[in-house]
Amino acid sequence: MSSRILPEFDLLVPQSIPEAVEMLSKYQNKAAVMAGGTDLLVLMKAGLKSDYVMALDEVSGLDYLIYDPTDGLRIGAMAKLAQVVDSDIVRTNYPALWQSACVNGTPQTRNRATVVGNILRASPAGDCCAAVLALGGTVVLQGAAGKREVDIDNFWTGYRQTARQPFEFAVEFKIPAKVGKSAFKRMTRSDQDLSKLNAAVSLDMAGNVCQGARLAMGCVAPTLVRMKKAEEIIKGKEITEAVLKDVEAAVKADVTPIDDVRSSAWYRKEVAGVLVKRTIEKALA
Amino acid sequence: MKTRSITLYVNGEAYSLNVAVNRTLLQVLREDLGMPETKYGCGTGECGACTVVVDGGKSILACLTLAATMDGAKITTAAGLETDGKLNPIQEAFISEHAVQCGYCTPGMVMKSVSILAKNPKPTEEEIRRELEGNICRCTGYVKIVQAIQKASEVMASTR
Repeated sequence: MSSRILPEFDLLVPQSIPEAVEMLSKYQNKAAVMAGGTDLLVLMKAGLKSDYVMALDEVSGLDYLIYDPTDGLRIGAMAKLAQVVDSDIVRTNYPALWQSACVNGTPQTRNRATVVGNILRASPAGDCCAAVLALGGTVVLQGAAGKREVDIDNFWTGYRQTARQPFEFAVEFKIPAKVGKSAFKRMTRSDQDLSKLNAAVSLDMAGNVCQGARLAMGCVAPTLVRMKKAEEIIKGKEITEAVLKDVEAAVKADVTPIDDVRSSAWYRKEVAGVLVKRTIEKALA
Repeated sequence: MKTRSITLYVNGEAYSLNVAVNRTLLQVLREDLGMPETKYGCGTGECGACTVVVDGGKSILACLTLAATMDGAKITTAAGLETDGKLNPIQEAFISEHAVQCGYCTPGMVMKSVSILAKNPKPTEEEIRRELEGNICRCTGYVKIVQAIQKASEVMASTR
């Protein structure tokens, strides 16, 4: 175990989606799927072992961001964070996702790391994860028997665990066309750090009245979570200082963070509500 | 496969290699090709010392890239910036602005600067600082590095 040397593994380099699916059907849990590798290789240097690594570099046609005003946005498995940062469509239509991509990692890692990889990694601190949970959408999974879509609300099943079956290949993430006003915010010690706390919101506004909201938070539970009680409080109301105070209190009561290297449970609980409140204000600004 | 035959184009030269699949691009550059200008810093994507430029302008980390997945890639390292024995304006500016102290981060800083100016020939100080987020220097405090990039930007604009 060393940050210099990777353990031994067999490399799989599929050239197409069907080939990738076939390899996963064969090797299942023995294969780790690598998109950008900026997370996986760090984990492997820290001791994670996998018999096989399946690199997606040579599966052509997976690095797409396709937007349609009716169907929404499709983010291919190899679409890099840098592509999201450079996309005017994402910046305009999905500010939460754009803002999360802009601060996720460093310019160098953003040239390799992918949005779908961030989702599949299932870290409760994933910045793009908070954004996609607030925006809503589905992970498209392909197995030998066909495709299925899993709602992001049900995708993360535990710490670093997802609803993806070992034989399924994550082809893309789909975000609906109609999403509310959105924003992302996070707290870190310095800019390139992993978040100690992050939040993303999307608000379906009719004038000043919030018809519905998706409030997502990271680093406060084993997975990213929606703040359902706060969502209920804000629904159907004009967003006033008083309502935001109630949201802040509801979030604080709802979160169950832990102590770790990046922050303490106490501090996270103290500021979680404030962060959600400020993210709402950012979305409406 | 445990090894893979690949071709890497490093600083304009083609290299046909048979690499172990668990070797990083950084290991292959330094140890197999004997090109020590790209540095090993943290190995985990925090410091930027191993920054190289691929396909004309994108900065990536050689320590978090498997060489076996880079078949056909065009890689530029700090040693590939000079032309006919003359340093690149970015390298010249790092010297004239005293942007080097211990020098360990410098090849990574220079390669990151190449990618910054390739995409944005006239960056503001704020843009430079944001783009340098992934490159750590423990000596200079960054002021002179930022000044060097600004200087290089001016020189390159005037000679274009």
